[in-house]
This record gives sequence, C-alpha cells and structure tokens, in this order.
Amino acid sequence: MFELSTDVCNIKTLKNEDLSAYDAIYLGDFSCPEYPNNFSSNPKQLKKGLDLVKSHDQKAYLRLYAVPSNHDMPWVEELIDTAMDLPFDAFEVHNLGLLRVLQEKKCTIPIHLGVFGNLYTHETAKVLKQYGVTRVYPNPELSLKEITYIADNTPIEVLLPVHGKIPLVISETCFIMEHTENTKLCGNNKCNFPCLEDHWLKRGRKDGSSNDWSLKDTGRMTLSGKDLCLIEHADQLSSAGFTAFYVQNKGEAEGYASKVGHIYRTALERAFAGDSGIDCAPWLAELDALSHEGLCNGYYFEGAGQRYFGRA
Amino acid sequence: MVRLLAPGGSLEMARTAIDEGADVVYVGPLGYSRRPYESEMNDADIRAAIHYARAQGRELLIVLNTYPSPFELPRWLTKAQMFADFGAAGFVVTDVGALHALRRLLPKTTLHVSIGSGICNARDTDFYRSLGADTIILPYRWDVAEIAAARSASDIALEVFLFETVQTGKICPGKCIMSSYLRFREWLEVENQTSFHGSANRGAKECYRVCQAAWQFGRDDAVPIDLKLRRDARLMLEQLPRFVAEGVTCFKLSGRERPVPMIRDLVRFYRKVIDRVLAQADLLDEYTEELAELRLRWVREKSKRVDTLMDRAASYAV
Repeated sequence: MFELSTDVCNIKTLKNEDLSAYDAIYLGDFSCPEYPNNFSSNPKQLKKGLDLVKSHDQKAYLRLYAVPSNHDMPWVEELIDTAMDLPFDAFEVHNLGLLRVLQEKKCTIPIHLGVFGNLYTHETAKVLKQYGVTRVYPNPELSLKEITYIADNTPIEVLLPVHGKIPLVISETCFIMEHTENTKLCGNNKCNFPCLEDHWLKRGRKDGSSNDWSLKDTGRMTLSGKDLCLIEHADQLSSAGFTAFYVQNKGEAEGYASKVGHIYRTALERAFAGDSGIDCAPWLAELDALSHEGLCNGYYFEGAGQRYFGRA
Repeated sequence: MVRLLAPGGSLEMARTAIDEGADVVYVGPLGYSRRPYESEMNDADIRAAIHYARAQGRELLIVLNTYPSPFELPRWLTKAQMFADFGAAGFVVTDVGALHALRRLLPKTTLHVSIGSGICNARDTDFYRSLGADTIILPYRWDVAEIAAARSASDIALEVFLFETVQTGKICPGKCIMSSYLRFREWLEVENQTSFHGSANRGAKECYRVCQAAWQFGRDDAVPIDLKLRRDARLMLEQLPRFVAEGVTCFKLSGRERPVPMIRDLVRFYRKVIDRVLAQADLLDEYTEELAELRLRWVREKSKRVDTLMDRAASYAV
C-alpha cells in the first residue's frame, strides 16, 4: 500500500529505538563520516545493521556520504565494495560523481537519489535513471504540485518527506568544531562529538523581537528549526498517488522516530483506507510538543519553508 | 587559450566590461539567473549586448542557472533557443535535466556548468562532461591539487572564480536553501513570471545572503557566540599563475550586483594581470598595492549589498 521510512545513523540507535512503525530504514548519516560508528563510513558495521533491519522484515537502504571530496573517494569506494556484496535494497546517493563510480562498478543494487542530489525537474530524473536511479528525494524547495508532476511524468518513484527537520545546507567541514571555543579534540586527535548536544543558530529581527529565525546545526549540516509536518494532509498525499513517505530523524533525540512513526503509520493507513474525516488535532498537539521550534509545511504549499498553512 | 569572463549586470556594465578587455561577458535574463531583477537584463538589452560583444570580436554567455520548475522547462528551452538565435555564444546552466535537454536542442552551443551545481570531486566534473558540458566552474574551496585531479578526470574545460581558495564553510551555492526557508516573496511584475513559486535557486527570489548576516550560535544552555555562517572570499592574485599552469582556461570575475565603475576597474586590473601571466612573467608583486585597494572596495560594496538584501528580507512576509 505504502512505505514509511526513516533514518538511523549507527547500530546503537538501531538497537535502542522502536522502529516498528517503519517499513524501511535508511542506514547511515550522510553528512558526517566522523559520527560514531556511522554506517555511511564504517564497512564493518554494515552486516550487523543490515541483519538487524532484515530481522524485522524491513528494507535496508545504505546512505553514502553526500559530499565526498577527492580525498574521501577511496574510503567511500571501499564502503561501496563491501556493501555491494550484501543484500541491501538500495544505496542512497547524493553526489553525481558517485553515480559514475557505481556505474563503473556495474552496481546492480537500486539507487535512490538523496536530498542533496538537487532533483528539481522530471528531465533530471530521466537522466539519472540511466545511472540506475529508481527513487528520488525531490529538493525540499519543490511544491506538492511540482512533485506530483514529476511523479506523474517520470518512470521513477518519488520519496515524499512527511515529517522532521528539513536539510537546508551541508558542509565538508564541521561548523561546531570551527566555531565553538571550548570544543577540544580528544587525545588521538579525533572529534569528541560535541554535536551529540543540540546546537542552534538564532537571529533576532531589527524590531527587537528575539529568535525570529532559528536553525538547528548538527555540525556538517544545517536543518530547519521547525519540523516539517504533513499530518493534516495524509488524505491528500494518498489521493495524489504517493506511496513512499519519509520521516527525517537525523539530530533528533531517542524516541522521536518511534513516536512520529506510529502517528504517521496510523494516519496514513486510515487515509489509504479512504477515511477522509480524520481528527488530526491530538496528533498535531503531540507532534508540536516533540518539536523544539514548532511545525511548518516546508515548501509544499508554495511559501517560505518555515510557514505552516494547515489544512486547506 | 586563457580567457577573462566578466559580469554584465546591465547593458552598461556589459559594454564597459568589453571595452576594458573581457573576452567573454555573462548576462542573466530576468528571472533566470539567481539575481535580483536589477542585476538581470531584459531580452532587448541582451540582444544589444550580444551585438556589441560580437562587433568587438568577443562573446556573450547567457546565464540560465536557475533550477527551473518542471512546469517552466518548455519556456526555459524556448528562451534559450531565442538567445542562441540572437547570437549568444553559449549558456551557463545548473540543472542536470535542463543541461541535457539544451545539449540536444543546441548541439553546437557552448555549455558551462554553473557554480550552482555544487560539485565536490573530480568525478563530478566527469559526470557533467558525459552530459555534453564543455566547461565547468570549480568551487572556491578547490586549490591546485583538486584542479589537477579534475584535469585528469576528463577533458572538460576548467573555469575558476577570481577568488582565493577558502577551504571551509557551508557549500553555497549548490547545496543551500537557507534563504528561502526563512523568507519568500512573490514575483515582481518586471520579472515577467507567474507560473510557479520559487526561491533564489529558482530565479524568482533573491538570495538574502543570510549566511553573511550576524547570527548567534551555541547550545541551548550556553552563552551564544556571534558569527557569520560563511567566510568571505578575497579577490585572487598569487594563485593565478599556478592555476594557469594546471590548465585553467577561464577566469571568472563575479559582481553583477556591483557598481559599474567597480567592474570597470576590476576588468582593467585582471586584464593586465592575466596578460602578464600569459607572457610567462610570474612576478606579480607590482600589482599587490592595487589589489589591496580593490579588495577594500569589494568588501565595502558587498557589505552594503548584504544590508540591502537583509532589509528587503525583513520587509517580506514569511
């Protein structure tokens, strides 16, 4: 009927979190190779993670590092070589150079284009299909109308993010390490992971009101301050023909993916069953309470990403 | 052949850049080139700029580097065909699908990959070459080693901005949508667009340069520190001979939003510097004082521009 997926960065989180609401798991943190035991940068972790996901009858997708420099390419290729021997259901790729690498390696595992792949048009989706791409994550700036058009006019599946913070910008270096004075490297010159605590970027307006703009920074990636939320639009998503939905979990506390997943699982099942009179208010209140800066609708209804339009 | 590319934010700027020795001038049609309307040009002015450039034996590139809406793509291609018919030498493009379609539509035109593509490694350059791109602009972050790697990866021509390498920071443009998350506005009538809602990346709205504004950063429980999100790049001089030696053939001067006298002086400066480098004279010490003055002017103008954009952002509804 539909697939609900989320992301998990390492085996510890995979073991601790209740992910039973999800049909598929994106394994790895595509933004920071240094993150502890990140599936995206630790080949030895792959089989353990894959086996655990498969033991729950879920699909396992492996996220590849989103912005590999020339210096990163050898270890990314090593990870790919290990992963190609395992029964992953797909690789998520953000970098077009890596598509060339996978093509040369004659990779037969399906490829999903990630959020930083800059998918804005159906023509781009058609080009990427030639590289083995079977699913695309549309750029968050696209409206639902545009995403629907792309889904209807390409032979590729569209993944629709329905909840969680929106990835806004990525970096090859760590913003927290560069700017936090009391952050020190460990004795072996490795990161001591200050990103495990929440860091926020805030900016007040000239009229004196404070914290009008708020963004979450995980070090190598900046996310929206507000949580994208489409719970009020589940029936619209089912009637538009979308079948792959995603909850963004990077940077969230333990329990977030579980609570959000169960709410959306129920809402989407009811929407796909044709129930159009769903009272979303209790869910909306629960999701709002889970957020740090409130909810937004992203760009889906043709406004600035942090707006919340609610049900039309 | 090494060429100097200069901005044409207006017809006057385009003519000035050509008069001062730019080999190629790039201009953006209204709503298609990631700049506010006052730094883009209408079709009649673009036609006039093309004729002026061709009459002087120079070339004009059309910047179509927005990510078009799927609804907009047919009109985007019609526009490109019109500029090709005007005599434009080529296009600066970002979107993979649009680039592929443009190559099919105009097999003989020149296609430059825009900085908006946000490339990270040499294999990226190879990817765009496989789509039929002729030239790719390299990120500010890249130095000689990365240029050499790109040179080895494919035969695509290499272009760099005339900025010194800055190896840290958020990847922009190409991997950033912060501006449109925070503020948005509708199309202006002068921009002649209504078909979809967009952002700086999509031509409709300006980027408010929120990364260059003042922010506070830190943990919830700590005293925040004041900072900007990106470091400023400085105008280049010392790296230029090494980049030429590594095979860079296009040096691009940024600045469609700067005043015409500033662009005039910068094109004049870099024309003589590049000519000196091509004459195998690597000693550029005599230019350092002049460069220092230009750098100061650049920073001053950039600061004014950021203030203007932030004021505009504050005036728009969320």
